[in-house]
Amino acid sequence: MTDKPFDPVAAWADMVQKWEQEINGWSAKMTDNEQFGALVGNVSRIQLVVQRMVAEQMESMLTTLAMPTKAQVEELAERMAGIEDSIDRLRLAIEARVLVPGNAPVDAAPAPVEPKRTRKPPVKG
Amino acid sequence: MASGTEPSREDIAERVRREVDRALKRNIKGLEFLTAGRQDVGAMKKELVHREGTAMLYRFTPVVDEIYRLPLLIVSPPSNKGYIFDLAPGQSMVEYLLQRGYDVFNLDWAPPRHDESHLGLADYVDRFIPDSMARIEEITGERELTLAGYCMGGTLATIHTALHSGPEAQGAAANRVTNLLLFATPIDFATMRLFQTWADQRHFDVDMMVERLGVIPPELMLGAFDLARPANRTAGRMHLWTNMWNDEFVRSYRMFDRWAAETLPVPGEYFREQIKKLMWDNGLVNDRLEVAGRIAHLSSITCPILNIIAQHDHVVSREAAGPLMTLTGSTDREEIISKGGHVSLVAGPAALRRLWPLIDDWLGKRSV
Repeated sequence: MTDKPFDPVAAWADMVQKWEQEINGWSAKMTDNEQFGALVGNVSRIQLVVQRMVAEQMESMLTTLAMPTKAQVEELAERMAGIEDSIDRLRLAIEARVLVPGNAPVDAAPAPVEPKRTRKPPVKG
Repeated sequence: MASGTEPSREDIAERVRREVDRALKRNIKGLEFLTAGRQDVGAMKKELVHREGTAMLYRFTPVVDEIYRLPLLIVSPPSNKGYIFDLAPGQSMVEYLLQRGYDVFNLDWAPPRHDESHLGLADYVDRFIPDSMARIEEITGERELTLAGYCMGGTLATIHTALHSGPEAQGAAANRVTNLLLFATPIDFATMRLFQTWADQRHFDVDMMVERLGVIPPELMLGAFDLARPANRTAGRMHLWTNMWNDEFVRSYRMFDRWAAETLPVPGEYFREQIKKLMWDNGLVNDRLEVAGRIAHLSSITCPILNIIAQHDHVVSREAAGPLMTLTGSTDREEIISKGGHVSLVAGPAALRRLWPLIDDWLGKRSV
């Protein structure tokens, strides 16, 4: 027997948690069979076909309206990512050259001091 | 039923006052929540030290003057961003490890471009991980290191170690891994019931999917997770509403929500190999996982292993990670079953008190 007074907020949280467990448990039972696997496989296949058809239609409509298509926007995003990648590589290459003794400009900030790699775990008493 | 502790009038008044106060805060903060931008993440200073397309290696700046000899390389799962290891001050595994004297690196992933859709398992375990190790050696002067991984990042770390360990291992990457630290790492894919149903070999046309899409969008993977726990999103929103008055809860919710929403696409070839070689063939357990012409034998792994599993993990069960304790060749293997779920191992506030100190105990003496 508990001495705790009734707390409606705690009861609500408890109810949500139980509901969540029940729905998740029910889903686990429903999905644990081959029919469900077949359904997922078919849906994925149909989804891909429909997606492609819609994309093609949409693309021709956007082209007619002289607007960029999803594929063109994605291509642009990929080019940006490629440029970012190249800039990162260039920066890293320049930094690697600067680190070689004699290559650093005279006004360059000194390289940060590396911590000593001699740490030992604390002795437990 | 008599409880003997009937609340007094003052108690009732106080509770009504508190609930009215919280209801008001819920409305005000609920509005703030709906109009807020992205939640900031990341607690610790880090620097990009190597990049190869999708692969990005970061070094977190050490925060103490004396650190352990062995660097620690954490491999993120290819479908998730690595900031889960460094969410916010006080809730960051990286912050904890830096403060305890580890030199922490993270191999993280940018969304793969379409011209990277051909990247497969071999690119991850035979190129990105070894190249990161070589760069770490340039920076630290240390050839050996501790390799860590979370979820599929752990699987990649395990495959790499299996391929590059033992007397027959050759090349620059051979026998570098001195310790293996694995969080919620799937190895026995036959035990992952829901994913097996979702990608049922008799009905799931992975080749068509890869050929049509090239890069696999995150929605596809999120769909599988939603099937596993369909009530989670709704229940999460309900809990959020109940706790809307609590700034800490809301901040934490928004960080996790951002992380889940920023699930990454993966290269089609990697996805195909994951489904065919791991999910369908269960290659690691059946001892026939072939990567770039070599078999990754779990028995080749002889370094110390710490296998960390979450008690209520609906993604990677104890059985799925189990072979790390039975099929590897190591004689120094430990398993920790921690309270919580799949993500709380690496980001939950409770892990800071319970789990991470155990990792520090295990790893400290093996990092000198």
